[in-house]
Amino acid sequence: MPSAGVSVEFAGLTKRFGSLTAVDDLTFTVEPGRVTGFLGPNGAGKTTTMRMLLGLVRPTAGTATIGGRAYAELDDPLAVVGAALEATDVHPGRTGRDHLRTIAAAAGIPDARVDELLELTGIPAFARKRAGGYSTGMKQRLALAQSLLGDPRLLVLDEPANGLDPEGIRWLRGFLRHLSHDQGKTVLVSSHLLQEVEQTVDDVVIIANGTLVRQGPMADLGGEPGAVVRTSDPAALARELGEVTCEPQDDGTLLVHSTDLQAIGDAALAAGLPVWELRRREADLEALFFELTEGRNRNLGEAV
Amino acid sequence: MTALTRAVRSELLKFFTTRLWWGLAIGVFASAALFALLFGILYTSQSFLEQSGGGPFGGQVVADDVQIANTVYTAGLGVGYLLMLVIGVIQIGAEYRHRTVTSTFLTQPHRPRVMLGKVLALVLIAAAYGALSLVGSVLVGSVTLRSRGAEAFPSAEVVRTLALSLLVLGLWALIGLGAGILIRNQVAALLITVGVAWIVEPLAGLAISAWDFGQHHIAPYLPSAATQAVLNGAQASADDVRLSWWGGAIALAAWAAAFALTGIVRVVRQDIS
Repeated sequence: MPSAGVSVEFAGLTKRFGSLTAVDDLTFTVEPGRVTGFLGPNGAGKTTTMRMLLGLVRPTAGTATIGGRAYAELDDPLAVVGAALEATDVHPGRTGRDHLRTIAAAAGIPDARVDELLELTGIPAFARKRAGGYSTGMKQRLALAQSLLGDPRLLVLDEPANGLDPEGIRWLRGFLRHLSHDQGKTVLVSSHLLQEVEQTVDDVVIIANGTLVRQGPMADLGGEPGAVVRTSDPAALARELGEVTCEPQDDGTLLVHSTDLQAIGDAALAAGLPVWELRRREADLEALFFELTEGRNRNLGEAV
Repeated sequence: MTALTRAVRSELLKFFTTRLWWGLAIGVFASAALFALLFGILYTSQSFLEQSGGGPFGGQVVADDVQIANTVYTAGLGVGYLLMLVIGVIQIGAEYRHRTVTSTFLTQPHRPRVMLGKVLALVLIAAAYGALSLVGSVLVGSVTLRSRGAEAFPSAEVVRTLALSLLVLGLWALIGLGAGILIRNQVAALLITVGVAWIVEPLAGLAISAWDFGQHHIAPYLPSAATQAVLNGAQASADDVRLSWWGGAIALAAWAAAFALTGIVRVVRQDIS
């Protein structure tokens, strides 16, 4: 029986490199049994935050704990946390399998477990070749196999979809949902693209310039879906719709806070208005994500 | 298995799962055998021993039977200890270069233990390479000496030197480990450590020896001079000031400890990003 999840807590986590504050007073919680997307533009501080959680980078202030304990205090870290931080973490002259064996040896994990995971991630043959010739996708699969060696309760994956082909991304999505929903593990996945994880994650944590800008369930993120109507007189249609709230848009369309397209069409007919366009509007996550992080990417700003 | 044993196993596995090890093994064995042959011929040749020019600065080579045997059997160690220095640098440098250091510290967040694992693994590797080097040098050297009418094993002291040559290799590997941490770029670390150990430091030793105080109180304690003292080979000249074999061993061990400990303290505090 695979081990169940553990919750992760970030409290006032801060990291300064000289005058640059890479991570600024970050506080949030990651829950077990769910996939949490850790999002932000490149350079927002995602990797530094993850490295602080894993005891690789020393925080300037604050704490990051796993089930109430710092990473360095864990007795058997690989049985609690599995991490895949960068796709290139393999010596090019060593085979992928041998790479995993060096880690398994240090953690007291038998080589049989290494082969089991190479089968699971679909690279048993490639893993016997030297890693110098691996594609990014293969390295991602190897990194995922590595993160699962100790059957951890928490998975921390940094940009795991980078370099995966569409089939690989679909496989990864299903796999992460299986680990979290079926096995109850905690999964924390970083990405700089919201669309990439949109269908995978349950919760999102969005940071920009090292500070938290939004946190919550994915479903709440974009607000409610609605409908867009184009007609000759938006104001008249809005009056006809009565109780349903409407917002006239700059492009002359009317945004209706309802997804009942039939009722909207009937209202237009009743008011004698022509309907030139009527469609459901999904929450525009990409625009929202951009809005939340826009103008906050220090890497794109003017040099100070 | 304790965590430390696992750390040592992991480090040995890291070393033996790339192609580096057998290339170096060939180098260690071949240099030991070739230098034993060369020095075996040189040091049994009367004209070489009597005429000046044997030492780098013209002094007469000073050597008794024991020193001749020691010199022949450890002739390849000049290359051998540089190779061990390289292995020491790479054992940590490759981890920085290929960023496997992240996986290493994730697997074992107790960094001093990881580093102790590296130290012990390097000592074992040095012992294995040292044994290989001795097989090459003693086989070829003893045959060469005997065939030229010299004593192959004049005293038990030779056995002491052979044992100590293993220690020398281990200590140089630890110097490499420390240097590999202090100079984080592996390529720079390799160039600098080999350049310093092979050329800069011996020349500095000679320069310091021109100054009377330096000759007696500084030069003999430098790593390469201490190494020569441990191995007790032939002396380049009669005025060469040399520590006793155990004095040299202590001096070299102090260098190894200084480098390795400074490196370990540095790693423990380092951000791995």
